[in-house]
Amino acid sequence: MPYAALLDPASVALKFGFLAVLYLFLMWVARSALKDLRRGVTATELPPDATGMHAASAGLAPEGLDEWEPRLRVEQAMGMRSGDEYDVTGGVVLGRGTLADIRLEDPFASSRHARIVPQGDVLVIEDLDSTNGTYLNGTRLDGPQPLHPGDRIRIGDNEFSFVH
Amino acid sequence: MSARNRELFGLIPAALLVTAGFTAIFIQRSAQVSNVSLTYGALFLGLCLAAHVVVRIVLPYADPYLLPLVAVLAGVGIVMIYRIDDTFARGQVISFLIGLGFFLGTLVFLRDYRVLERYRYLIALGSIGLLVLPRFSGSVNGAYLAIHAGGVTFQPAEFAKIGIVVFLASYLRDTRQVLVMGARRVLGVTIPPLKHFGPLLVVWGAAMLMLFVIRDLGSSLMFFGAFLSILYVATNRLSFVVVGLAMFALGAWAVGTHVPHVHSRIEAWQHPFNRRLYEAQGGSYQVAQLLFAQADGGVLGRGFGQSLLQIPGSSANLLPAPRTDLIYAVIVNEIGLVGACGLLGVYLLIVQRGFKAAVLARDSFSTLLAAGLTSVFALQVFVIVGGVTKLIPLTGVTLPFVSYGGSSIVANFALVALLLLVSDRARRPG
Repeated sequence: MPYAALLDPASVALKFGFLAVLYLFLMWVARSALKDLRRGVTATELPPDATGMHAASAGLAPEGLDEWEPRLRVEQAMGMRSGDEYDVTGGVVLGRGTLADIRLEDPFASSRHARIVPQGDVLVIEDLDSTNGTYLNGTRLDGPQPLHPGDRIRIGDNEFSFVH
Repeated sequence: MSARNRELFGLIPAALLVTAGFTAIFIQRSAQVSNVSLTYGALFLGLCLAAHVVVRIVLPYADPYLLPLVAVLAGVGIVMIYRIDDTFARGQVISFLIGLGFFLGTLVFLRDYRVLERYRYLIALGSIGLLVLPRFSGSVNGAYLAIHAGGVTFQPAEFAKIGIVVFLASYLRDTRQVLVMGARRVLGVTIPPLKHFGPLLVVWGAAMLMLFVIRDLGSSLMFFGAFLSILYVATNRLSFVVVGLAMFALGAWAVGTHVPHVHSRIEAWQHPFNRRLYEAQGGSYQVAQLLFAQADGGVLGRGFGQSLLQIPGSSANLLPAPRTDLIYAVIVNEIGLVGACGLLGVYLLIVQRGFKAAVLARDSFSTLLAAGLTSVFALQVFVIVGGVTKLIPLTGVTLPFVSYGGSSIVANFALVALLLLVSDRARRPG
């Protein structure tokens, strides 16, 4: 090709310069994307002392705690898959707000609606002065109540069951 | 560095790319270095800075990377179109200006983009009207994609894609719960009750109708794919996507075997080097030339301005439509696989920023809107780049921000403006 003979070193340099600027720019933007990904991992990492749904494989869980694995099972909830389970060993806050551990997509839920906290060797559910109330087995919560396996918790249209 | 300063910093490489590109083309064309390229780079930077200042005032918390990424694409587009045909570069710059105007207009006048929810049925009707309109205007290569009026060509599908995403986001926000609850599982596949499955069938029917009415596989794939992504984000049910894709494949098969122009596209895709197809009118000539151009570019490309667009000594185009749909092949030819991957990297990062805005958004409508807009954008790039690289049959969709064409640039600027609005609301503290 006669074109090859005309190649000007300056225009070759410019092409590589162009590619270099393009790739440096891409790396600069990608760096922040990677940072986001890393931050995402640490945010969902379980505290080391929690049993955790995924970390509860035999051998790893401390002795005596194997059977104690309290979870909230989704019976029906907006934006959640029925049958999914949330680990509640260390206590959780349910609500519509961003700071809630279990986020409810329900206009009837308050931003911090209810919480489950460990007290001694039981878990206690407590309504956090929500507007529309929290129902435990069909009755509205009035003060903290201990949870038993099979208990049903309803907030708005969302229903969870408590299982061990 | 604060978010807005990061955005400001990111505009510098975009301007550098414009300057370097123009300089290389000038050297190639007239063997001289001219300071005009610096002027062009400076003008481009000035326009981007103006947009940046408005973003700084109106959306202080918006994603800082979207604007620089878009500026890089638009810069590459202007350089490449100038290189292909300098008279069209003027038009491209005007489109870019109008696009920026729309971008800023969207930012300022749609600050609370959630008002769009109120007009969702109007928006849906308008979008479908826009899609059907070209049917009354005459076809280009057998597909009905553009309206020609008074010397101006208008591609309504570019605007319709935004409208349809807005409608779907708003509609699925309300019904997603109904679709999931009361669903039965049969053989591990979730089947929503028929009465709620209805709307999904309607959207599928609309996509199929579109396939028959506008006769373009690519844009139907883009619309239906965006619908399935929004549906997936809204319901978290993979089975909907699987069933939807199967239904789409069925419709595509029917259209591919029964509509002659779609059928010939598929044949050209399967056998681009078949002599009979290569020589046939509207045959595989285009696909074959695209592949030659990309192979000729190689890893590092021939360099700016070095691509052979016309047969020497004649005015016949080697590559049909190099400015619009097939600009990607010219880019591969001139800056090679490395440059093209860089360009795709820019698209990939725009998509990442878009999905990030969707993840951060605090209400369902914003999440669905950002996810849907990002999906439709990503699918558009997929449809055209996939077509040019012979992954899927080639159909006429523009490469966002790079291809020549006013509608495409203006609509995509509006799309990015909506993404910025969502991300600003999502990142606003408190």
